Amino acid sequence: MLKPLSLLFVVLYATSAVLAQQQTDGDPAEGIHQINQFLQTRWSDQQITPAADCTDERFARRLHLDLVGRIPTVQELQTFLQDRRPDKRQQLIRHLLQSEDYVQHFADNLDTLLMGRGSSRVYQQRQQNNWRAWLESVIRDNRAWDDCVRTILLARPQSETDRGAVWFLYERKDNYQKIAEELAPAFFGIRIECAQCHDHMVASEIEQRHYWGLVAFFNRGKNASTDNGLRIQESAIGGFSEFANLEGDSSPNLLTFFQSATVPEERPESTDKQEDSDDFYTASLIDGEPRIPKFSRRESFVNQVAADHPLIARAFVNRIWALLTGRGIVHPFDEMDSAHPPSHPELLDWLAQDFRSSGYNIRRLVRLIVSSRVYQLDSSRPAGLDDPATFAWGLEKPLTAEQLARSASLALRGTGDSAAALLEPFRQIFPDLLPETVTTGVDDALFLSNNTAFTNYISESRAPNHLLTQIQALPNVNEQASLAFLTVFGRVPTREEVQRLQTYLNSAAADADSLSIRWEQVLWAMLTSAEFRFNH
Amino acid sequence: MASTMSQPVSPSSAYCGSPEHTFHRRMILQGVPAAGLAATSSFAGLFSVPALAEQTRKQGKKCILLWLCGAPSQFETWDPKPGTPTSGPFAAIPTSLPGIHISQLMPQCAGIMNKLGVIRSMKTEPSEHFQGIDVLTRGEKPRPPFTRPILGSVIAEQLGQLDSPVPQFVLLDPCPEGNEFKAFKAGNWAGWLGAEYGPVRAGGEYSIPNLLKPETISQLDHQDREGLRSFLSRKFANDQRSDAAAGYNAAFNRVQGLMSCAPLFDLDKLPEADRRRYGGGAFSQHALQARHLIENGSTFVMVANGMPWDNHVYQHEMHQMLVPELDNVIFQLVNDLEERGLLEDTLVIAMGEFGRTPWLNEARGRDHYPNAWSMMMAGGGIKGGVVYGSTDPLGIDVAEKHVDQRQLFATIFTALGIDPHQQYDIPDLPAFFHVEQSAEPIRELLV
Repeated sequence: MLKPLSLLFVVLYATSAVLAQQQTDGDPAEGIHQINQFLQTRWSDQQITPAADCTDERFARRLHLDLVGRIPTVQELQTFLQDRRPDKRQQLIRHLLQSEDYVQHFADNLDTLLMGRGSSRVYQQRQQNNWRAWLESVIRDNRAWDDCVRTILLARPQSETDRGAVWFLYERKDNYQKIAEELAPAFFGIRIECAQCHDHMVASEIEQRHYWGLVAFFNRGKNASTDNGLRIQESAIGGFSEFANLEGDSSPNLLTFFQSATVPEERPESTDKQEDSDDFYTASLIDGEPRIPKFSRRESFVNQVAADHPLIARAFVNRIWALLTGRGIVHPFDEMDSAHPPSHPELLDWLAQDFRSSGYNIRRLVRLIVSSRVYQLDSSRPAGLDDPATFAWGLEKPLTAEQLARSASLALRGTGDSAAALLEPFRQIFPDLLPETVTTGVDDALFLSNNTAFTNYISESRAPNHLLTQIQALPNVNEQASLAFLTVFGRVPTREEVQRLQTYLNSAAADADSLSIRWEQVLWAMLTSAEFRFNH
Repeated sequence: MASTMSQPVSPSSAYCGSPEHTFHRRMILQGVPAAGLAATSSFAGLFSVPALAEQTRKQGKKCILLWLCGAPSQFETWDPKPGTPTSGPFAAIPTSLPGIHISQLMPQCAGIMNKLGVIRSMKTEPSEHFQGIDVLTRGEKPRPPFTRPILGSVIAEQLGQLDSPVPQFVLLDPCPEGNEFKAFKAGNWAGWLGAEYGPVRAGGEYSIPNLLKPETISQLDHQDREGLRSFLSRKFANDQRSDAAAGYNAAFNRVQGLMSCAPLFDLDKLPEADRRRYGGGAFSQHALQARHLIENGSTFVMVANGMPWDNHVYQHEMHQMLVPELDNVIFQLVNDLEERGLLEDTLVIAMGEFGRTPWLNEARGRDHYPNAWSMMMAGGGIKGGVVYGSTDPLGIDVAEKHVDQRQLFATIFTALGIDPHQQYDIPDLPAFFHVEQSAEPIRELLV
């Protein structure tokens, strides 16, 4: 019954994909050059010699993890290594940016950044309510980011696809302070929860009135179930209150937010009780959608505050920069306030400006960054350098839960699509995306050492086309070690490593079963080593 | 949840981080003869590095907090008012301290009153549980956005053995519920000290996740496998000059040590005679486990059992069950620690977040009362046989020497050898001190 409709979507989607393609086809060379210049200038000023360019092996692993959320297959790796074209890195970038894995990986990233982690039930709900599908469409169609922000925050879907975007607000269940506190870092790159009780102590430009103003923009919303699905109705009345500072002085919660003008609104006398009336609303042009207040706070936020707000672009480019290079130009990436100045202000300005003038083109932004020299530096830290804010070497990034699950699945089973059994436990134990500092708790190590979901996953990866089986079909340890290392680490083993493996395998009892279990443990040791755990 | 049980991991490259190596290094530094390393922990063989426990026990002070969440009544414990309208049905009995009486529900503590320090003049502000718990476990009212670390985190940071395989701050709380305490448990305990100083939560169903090896692998294979992992991983960390990778490996280096501690968290492994002595209740059993953890290298163990003391209904009946259990636990703990020569260095604290009203409500319960209440400390730098402060004849207000949370914390810190006026040395943090406003410790209670 749904078929004609989905066919229509396929046609639409194909059209938008073509459009998106044209959009990204602009020549990135000038932009790449700009980024390189900004970094080079600072290195020169600071008399820093950055690390050398990374090897092709390292580049391939890094780029796959960053763009498609998994390590490369041996086949992909070898194809790339054998490619003799001078622009082969550009070619690989272009190729990966057009893949479905890119869609999945960036949908993962956006989901974690905008929504945070949750239980498996939370992930199910995001799926069922088409939030996930919407995120995928955003990446697949390369939707302009400012349009995405508008679609999410207005939450009045104009198309079937956009219905999923309602879930951003809906999942917060009419908790307006939660909406405000999570919306501010998600879209504006600032944290405002400190400003609930007083102006921000260390970044005083973030004021208490901004906190309560942002709450007020959304506090007339109400989750509702309609014939068209879940919606956020909006009332035309109510939501007036006062907030008190630490000295006890009260102020009205005017419609105001950081770096934007106050939206005028008539406030009733405190003694007036407002009566709601149909006169305050107009019907939606779309059948079955909630009525719309003639004065909509949410709409005024979208049109008068968020539209072209300078932080929308700055926050997004800083975040993508952080995702790809391992550190924000402002660090931490969601505290873009006066207490956290950018390490490279001109670069941040330029990236934000380029992002805006390119029509908030996400794919172009990603492409510029991974094409730049700084992205392609070797990750071995040069002696004498220790400040990561110089970006003078490739900063290591711990794999996200999704990257880890897909990569382990790919290494062991030849496909990233067999990761479901790992995703849930990994999301619990490795919730981080862009942690402020990279630390490993003993609980993480205990998990990787003893968790049966993980160790069973390895021992159950024994189908004929799985790595364990393939390794054991090879005639000698040299070939076996090479296959294992190429598959898991994306490089050939050193002689010392082969010897160590040999010793380890020799210590097993002579029977085939014992040897087979030893191989299982070799793969465990590789998958839990720092070399696999980090993107470097 | 990753943050609840993180352990401090040093990315130091001076040694590989293995607990064995650390131990040997310390042994050499301190000239401890190997022959003197006989297992001295009470259950030889259960704990794989008894010598380490011997070392840590000699070095630092420790603390057990019996967290009486919900808030017990002072009238049915340390400050009875026999023959007055505020007294309940229970009598007061004499103690080993001449002239001092406590509730008849605490006969065993009455016998060792000369070893206990009691404050009868606690006077604090919050009268709701969450705020009360917050103030009485952190020592200060909140000042957002900053989160002051909880007592156990500060003590673990100040006195803990970072390289010990045994968790330094343990919360034993078998009860997942507990109203406001449940909400409090979900919050940030370590505050500005960082998650590595948060508690390892255990007790009842709350075992430490993944502490036991999978059954499918032998102990030897488990270690061999780790040896291979470590070889591959260390090489990478060195080649990269990577702090992140070094820290990662350091975390794995603690795994074998922590796994060797698994028996410490297994109530069933505690001797039957001890278990009987402490009594069958969850709180009693976990108090025994706290002693065992302290003996074996933990620095701060907090024992709770949900929020059972909040007796707004049938206060007397409830306290008739709860207080004798507490009485026995304090008695056993203090005696055990003394017998083992540990009492001098181990501070035992028993307290809740406030006291209970002098009057009864319509449900024959006592309600929240921060205005005048009692708490107990023993050992670890606290002078026994001191009853500090007093309340008026009806227990409505403090009569003399009122004590707030700052003075209490100053006393606790001082007893443990921690400077109460030391400033936290944390970048980007305003000037915060262990105890604010230069509050002075109560000298009368200190050894």
